[in-house]
Amino acid sequence: MRALRENPLLRYHLLGATRHRWRRQPWLYGAAVLGIGLVYLLVLQLTVFNEASIYATLGLALFVMCIAAPLMAYNLFSLEYEKQTWESLALTRLTAREIFWGKYGAALARVALTTLLFAPFLLTTHSATTYVIAAAFTVLFSWGALLVSVGLWLSFKLKRTLTTAATLYAGQVFVLLLFPFLYLLFSGGSDPSTSTIEGVQSYRDGMLAWVASLFEGTLIIFANPFYLASQLNDLSVRPSWWWGSTDWDAYVNGLRYMLWGFAQSAMYLGLGAMFAGFAYRGVKISWRK
Amino acid sequence: MLDVQGLRKEYGELVAVRDIRFQLYPGDVFGFIGPNGAGKTTTIKMLATLLEPTAGTATLNGIDIVRHPEEVRPLLGYMPDFFGLYEGITVTEYLEFFAAAYRIPKAQRAAIIDNVLELTDLTVKKDAYVETLSRGMQQRLCLAKSLVHDPILLLLDEPASGLDPRARIEIKELIRELGAMGKIVLVSSHILPELADFCNKIGIIEKGELLVWGAVDEIVQQLQANRVLEIRPLGEPDALIQRLERESHVHGVETRNGSLYVHFAGGLEEQADLLAALIRDGYRIAAFREESLDLEDVFMQITKGEVS
Repeated sequence: MRALRENPLLRYHLLGATRHRWRRQPWLYGAAVLGIGLVYLLVLQLTVFNEASIYATLGLALFVMCIAAPLMAYNLFSLEYEKQTWESLALTRLTAREIFWGKYGAALARVALTTLLFAPFLLTTHSATTYVIAAAFTVLFSWGALLVSVGLWLSFKLKRTLTTAATLYAGQVFVLLLFPFLYLLFSGGSDPSTSTIEGVQSYRDGMLAWVASLFEGTLIIFANPFYLASQLNDLSVRPSWWWGSTDWDAYVNGLRYMLWGFAQSAMYLGLGAMFAGFAYRGVKISWRK
Repeated sequence: MLDVQGLRKEYGELVAVRDIRFQLYPGDVFGFIGPNGAGKTTTIKMLATLLEPTAGTATLNGIDIVRHPEEVRPLLGYMPDFFGLYEGITVTEYLEFFAAAYRIPKAQRAAIIDNVLELTDLTVKKDAYVETLSRGMQQRLCLAKSLVHDPILLLLDEPASGLDPRARIEIKELIRELGAMGKIVLVSSHILPELADFCNKIGIIEKGELLVWGAVDEIVQQLQANRVLEIRPLGEPDALIQRLERESHVHGVETRNGSLYVHFAGGLEEQADLLAALIRDGYRIAAFREESLDLEDVFMQITKGEVS
């Protein structure tokens, strides 16, 4: 815990650098805060009055996270290289763990704050169950954590701020849009979920379905947070277009047995931990810590 | 004491630093001289534990920098040739950051920061934001940051580069003061007059090889074994040139602006004998003096202008 409690780097990234940005362009940031604040309240009002579904609220939150999370981590290490400050930092008595947590902790704190910003949206979602709301929070935070973990690692590896940012955004376009598009193109456009999920009748089946999805390629679709949000919607309300050709209850139970939302969150966190581990290892080895 | 033993750095085929050896003691201000690309920065980075040597090692107060970099780091202060500062914080906050990073107890930090601010003459700027400081002040702040943990070895890589004349003089004064405080200061530069004023020892590196190192006076004395004498004769010099060329210690005579520059291999005794002989032979000598060597002459005599 000392890596977080008495960490000057964490304090700098959370307060020092933040204050700097505010102070440098107070009008720009003031206008941005005012504008975003107004849009926030307007959208919140629309969400409540129009009884928005979890697909809409979580989708919006995920969209914002996709835009904002890379900005929370893209320069954490690259700026040290670009501004030539890393050598001074490496020579201090801060351990690799403290340097890592100083940067990663600041990024995770911002992800948590962004998640909390969307709490009013998620909590006021129309007819969402506790399971769905809990899953939505978990997905939102873990997706953000994955993005900042990848950002942290890329920032360390690429040593260039702009390259890191471009790679993060381009990477998201590939993972969230192009890969699912290619999958659907080669699978004849059929939705892979319904038949697979309907067949899941126990937690064991759920686990096997996840393993199978990895080999069948459907994981590209299942692990997509926006697709995940649409299925979470199905856990809340039966859509009007449901013709009855599928056993609705079996389908919803299948989603629950697959721990829909939580399982993907675990994957995001696992992947995030892997990339964060790479960044930590990099600091330890190349900074001789 | 800093004891450097056979430090070597290779990048594939390229040998950037070739088996360097030297020793420095508390109070030594060591000028590390060499052309760009000679291996100065690589050597400093190895001593700063930022680069792992291919072979050899160095010990600082008996601690091996290669095997125990984490133990050596609190004992050294390093100022790189290109450096940046964390922005968005004040000078005091910046120093507090590094004081905390060096694990200086909270209760002692304020006093230490006041001291280093005073030493680096930045007290008046303690509440200024780091990015608003001039280049010279940022340089001093970087040095202040390197001093908060009271290191015994200071590695300063081109500390005066990019500074205006006033800032250069200020940083030179500061380095001299640090030497007087008993710290070992290793300062690199390729601008020789910069180092001549405050270094008591120098090392000249070229193509990764430390060609010579030691006390400035000793090196100059060694090189003056082959000294140049300036003789200004009255009247035509031809006869005097012929006379000088017959002398066994004279290796050559050049004529410039009415003076003769004699390359003389003898010592002070032979030099006095030569003057006496010339006067005895009836030559009228208006001036007879030995050209003194400065650091630039030493550098030019020793190096060939090659990079590794």
